[in-house]
Amino acid sequence: MVDRDRSNCPGRVDLVFDPVSAGTASVCPVYIGTCGYSYTEWVDSGFYPEGTRTTGMLGLYGRCFSVVELNYTWYQMARAELLSRMVEKAPPHMLFAAKLTRTMTHERADNWREQLQLYRQGIAPLGDRLVAVQIQLPPGFERSIANRNYLAALLDGLEGLPVAVEFRHVSWAIDSVFAELARRKVTLVAVDEPSLPGLFPALDVVTNPALFYVRFHGRNTNGWRSGNMQKKFNYDYSDEELQLWREKYILPMAARAGRGFVFFNNHVGAQAPRNGARLAAILAQQSKRAGK
Amino acid sequence: MSQGFRVQERSVLHFNVADFAVSVERVVDSGLRGKALIIAPQTTSRAIVYDMSEEAYGEGVRKGMWLKQAMRICSGAEVLAPRIDLYQKAMKAFVKTLQTYSPRIECGQADGHFFVDVTGTHRLNGLAPDVGWRVRRHVHRGLGINPIWTLGTSKLVAKVASRLVKPVGEYIVTPGEEADFLAPLSIMLLPGLSRKELERLLEFRLDTIGALAGLTRRQLMVPFGKRCEYLHNASRGIDESVVSVPAESEQSFGYEHFFAEDTNDRRELEGVLAGLVSRAGNQLRVRRQVTRRLGVWLHYSDGCHVVRQASCRAGTAGDFLLRKLAVTALNRAWMRRIRIRSCRLVCDRLQRQSPQLSLFPEPSADRCRETKVLAALDLIHKRFGHGVVEIGHHKLAGTT
Repeated sequence: MVDRDRSNCPGRVDLVFDPVSAGTASVCPVYIGTCGYSYTEWVDSGFYPEGTRTTGMLGLYGRCFSVVELNYTWYQMARAELLSRMVEKAPPHMLFAAKLTRTMTHERADNWREQLQLYRQGIAPLGDRLVAVQIQLPPGFERSIANRNYLAALLDGLEGLPVAVEFRHVSWAIDSVFAELARRKVTLVAVDEPSLPGLFPALDVVTNPALFYVRFHGRNTNGWRSGNMQKKFNYDYSDEELQLWREKYILPMAARAGRGFVFFNNHVGAQAPRNGARLAAILAQQSKRAGK
Repeated sequence: MSQGFRVQERSVLHFNVADFAVSVERVVDSGLRGKALIIAPQTTSRAIVYDMSEEAYGEGVRKGMWLKQAMRICSGAEVLAPRIDLYQKAMKAFVKTLQTYSPRIECGQADGHFFVDVTGTHRLNGLAPDVGWRVRRHVHRGLGINPIWTLGTSKLVAKVASRLVKPVGEYIVTPGEEADFLAPLSIMLLPGLSRKELERLLEFRLDTIGALAGLTRRQLMVPFGKRCEYLHNASRGIDESVVSVPAESEQSFGYEHFFAEDTNDRRELEGVLAGLVSRAGNQLRVRRQVTRRLGVWLHYSDGCHVVRQASCRAGTAGDFLLRKLAVTALNRAWMRRIRIRSCRLVCDRLQRQSPQLSLFPEPSADRCRETKVLAALDLIHKRFGHGVVEIGHHKLAGTT
């Protein structure tokens, strides 16, 4: 896996940790990005300059961040020719996480095994720029025997790829699940979302020492189940909330992982890139203080 | 140009229900799922196929094929008569779902094809792919039909994409990717080409859209004349046609009759036409509309068809004037000696009935009687259906 030169990686913060015993300090690079980058709304909100067209967005995004989560692969099967063209045009430092297609998570197709093979072929052009395949499981996906078997088969099918699993149902928040993910070296996605009953809680569990993965969805309690993504992901994190996340979750996870990826999904009104930049600044301050 | 004005990239969603009539019939009767199904009028053995299921298509059945021939190819297929009203009802329900996302909707006539322009709705509804996915999910859950959905920056791109994922699936063509997306595809997938143009393109070995895009306007001008502009733009994914919401005046509706045996009997044809006029008149009065043009489509035994119209500037919803117009249009359309297979009556240039009464002339006694007769007929038709009571035609036919 390539680790890009820090100077050329906007949105990356190296967290330095003192060695437990005598030795060198450990460094955990944390990359901050957003879920998707192609939002016309971000032109309206001023994140992209006036008149920016879709083709120019990734280049501009790359001036602020070095990783992006591709969410279009959730709506439709990843297509190699399209991703290949995207990688060609992307800034050289840009890394990608790819969401698993909904036909294997939310709307499981009968031929999901074939779909998995198609997906593997589709994301192949991402090569060493792929930081993780993100499996987002639906809120109704409870920890039942059938679902456990399905997830196991899905993870088997993704063998050899870096994988991060995001649960939405609280029933998966138990040690045996974490232990199995750790055995498979699969990352458990840490989530920040509204504190509603039945939702998976925010945890600082690291199941894969190679990487930790965080998703900030916003805490819009009223909009969460509205069925409208403009309401669901409309939330602006305060500095205090981000500060608290740094203390409580990001630093403990970074101390146990080789590198980390943090994504903001609250895209409405370009709050995601704003909050991402703010978190990067907060982490950078911490890093400076630790370095002194 | 005024400050603050800017042209946005367009987001056009296309929904396409493959084998729409079959899909609707299968929603009504789930027992039809997985079976070979042909939709065709059963009143005559020489009827033509209106729609068929994927299974029947696989056996070689095609739209417009003679039913007899289709049954020879696919003998196990179940045949159902088309229920246009039912399909139109399903179309309306689909449109209702779409209207929650955009007012710019273009749809066909009971064919399960829809274009929706969601440009500029992102602040309200989120990303266009999300809208596509939500509509599909909503329609799938609510109506039980599973449409293809595609997204592009134009109707052309979205249409081509839909041809790649039939019978189910989705395809998102990212803005800026249009030319790259089209380039490797077969020229047969490009919409809007006539058979002659297609043959010409293949003659020149321009068998992919990319090969066509490699030619300049000037090069295309030689073999294709004025069409060079369309070919040049379409091959690059450039299509500025708008998703057109039909104005009331552009809307139309019609009724069709298939003869049990192909015919050239004038009395039979006029009788059928009178029945169609009666239904059309009733429909106009229910809608509180008038039509300013009536079209008659005659489909001949040899597959040809002729369309002719008759107009009335003021517009009418009364059967008596409608019938005169229909007979005029029929006389204009009936030019061949070949027997007729089906006859279609289309009302267009529709407008609302004016609620304003005329200022000076009192309606004549005849006019009052006609209005009363029609009102009585509408009541009877509403209660007992069409065909129970009709206005006598032969006398009328003699007067025209």
